[in-house]
Amino acid sequence: MSGAPDDGRNVDPRLGALTGEAAGQAPRGRGAPPPQAPPVEDGGSPTYYERPVIKAPVWKRSIAAYFWLGGAAGAAATLGAVAQLAAPVELRGLVVSCRRVTAVAGAASTAILIDDLGRPERFLNMLRVVRPSSPMSVGAWVLAGLGSACAPAVALAGAGGRLGRAGDVAGLAAGALGMPLAGYTAVLLNNTVVPVWYATHRTLPPFFVASGTVAATGLLELTRLSAPERRVVHRLGVAARVADLLTARAVEREAGRVERVARPLRDGASGALWRASSGMVGASLALGLLPRRARAARRAGAVLGALGSLAARVAIVQAGVRSARDPRATFELQRAGLGGASATGRAAVSGPGGRRATD
Amino acid sequence: MSPPARGDGDGAKGFFTDTTVCIGCKACETACKQWNQLPDDGMAFAGMSYDNTGELGASTWRHVAFVETATEGLGEDAGRDGLAWLFSSDVCKHCERAGCLENCPTGAIVRTEFGGVYVQPDVCNGCGYCIVGCPFGVIDRRDEDGRAWKCTLCYDRTKDGQEPACAKACPTDSIQYGDVEELKARAQERLATLHERGATETYLYGAGEDGQPGTGGLNAFFLLAAEPERYNLPPDPVAPARKAGQAWAAAGIAGLATAAAMLGAVLTRGRGR
Repeated sequence: MSGAPDDGRNVDPRLGALTGEAAGQAPRGRGAPPPQAPPVEDGGSPTYYERPVIKAPVWKRSIAAYFWLGGAAGAAATLGAVAQLAAPVELRGLVVSCRRVTAVAGAASTAILIDDLGRPERFLNMLRVVRPSSPMSVGAWVLAGLGSACAPAVALAGAGGRLGRAGDVAGLAAGALGMPLAGYTAVLLNNTVVPVWYATHRTLPPFFVASGTVAATGLLELTRLSAPERRVVHRLGVAARVADLLTARAVEREAGRVERVARPLRDGASGALWRASSGMVGASLALGLLPRRARAARRAGAVLGALGSLAARVAIVQAGVRSARDPRATFELQRAGLGGASATGRAAVSGPGGRRATD
Repeated sequence: MSPPARGDGDGAKGFFTDTTVCIGCKACETACKQWNQLPDDGMAFAGMSYDNTGELGASTWRHVAFVETATEGLGEDAGRDGLAWLFSSDVCKHCERAGCLENCPTGAIVRTEFGGVYVQPDVCNGCGYCIVGCPFGVIDRRDEDGRAWKCTLCYDRTKDGQEPACAKACPTDSIQYGDVEELKARAQERLATLHERGATETYLYGAGEDGQPGTGGLNAFFLLAAEPERYNLPPDPVAPARKAGQAWAAAGIAGLATAAAMLGAVLTRGRGR
């Protein structure tokens, strides 16, 4: 056809108008990689030429940093508010440090979130509706609220009188949204069809909250604090590291109800990173228990804790991508009764004579 | 507040895909591409059966699966090399409980008056959360335009009282469009006929809430002749939001416990080293 633009449609503009539903789709570059049949793997349930049954997440790698920073910002916000309520004068330095960590981590995570959108210029559409069924919607509102509260809390931290009190109220508001911010990112992953994320409903949220608290205390230990403030951060840090290590094992156990589902946490790059994360948090715990004189070691422990928390988020995201690419993880999860059957009490018909998937 | 829209109620339209009469001609794929003016995916040879399309995606809204099977059935002759073919034209299922719609944070994905699930092109901001909400791997984002795309149930045609392009083009009526309730009755009849004739391996996939509780039933359901996995369909799919309550509860308990630990750390600051 002469005159047809080379846009993969072969519509001659003299004969047809490009007004169809997908006329706006930009053409894909020539020579796009062809869909390839992956090599046949080990046995188990039948598949369609080993092709994935669900789509892998399209998020950039930086999304793990978003989860990490959100966890740190959320935990710092709540700690700041708790300190402000319980000992506003003695722990004033910690309150201000918490607000600063929240502000920096919160702003950075918001920037990463916007950058990760396919259409960043439409970011504000996130605040177009409130949709409780979507953790992404809930999280966008929590992040917007926490950001709006944290900005005046930081700006007015040094002010006295009425302005200072307004800053304190904003600090409390940010604190109330802190734990939701630290926990929602796990619910966001749970609320997907990716097997390793979907199968960890009960354990991934506590792990993310603990891991976020490890990151927050790690960052706070690097700031200038008074002796009682240091003790607060240190004790919370020890508790958070223990909770991190325990809940990480619980995540493995919950995913391990179906061997195939837990596989990305056990082997490969994601499994190695997952183990490394626990190793770093464990080492950080040990260094933190050294006498206070060993200041350099304690600081190294703080950094290790924060990095271990980041490594865990990267590992969880990578494990999800691998899990999505493995059709048998989905099939075996559902045949084991953890699909529709676990949510509704009844599996779907998937064979003749009304036979259900779990029969 | 905008509660997630469901597709139940009278008059929902959808597809009944009777895979036993599909001949794998891919007229549906072509008609869909042509009507919706979808660009090609880059001509490529996949090396698996005669399926060079591979999967549904942002610019592929119908996909014919070519399932090679060693078993005879449906009057198929397994032939010289012992292989027979099962075909199935896959499409967005327009679920009653649609994972993509329930996950969409912008309200870009809506339920149309025909019960179809539709992505509003001018609202989607490309967050990608619908993609991991779909239990069937249907919806996808294109790097080129940054937003999510999928089958619209030919919203622009159905508004004018026409059937979707794929159903219109299907030469064997493997793809039938109409009222979902009517289609279900027709499918039951067809299933009874097949079983009478000895094709007892056939069954309906995704027909109604009872047939697939996890999704509340599919407005585009199928008559299959082998396990769902063979067609790359999940055996017991679920809209993930159905389990979110448990996750929120776990997050809430963890949050409260952490706040309590923070208070404990603050209150015991005077003691110890």
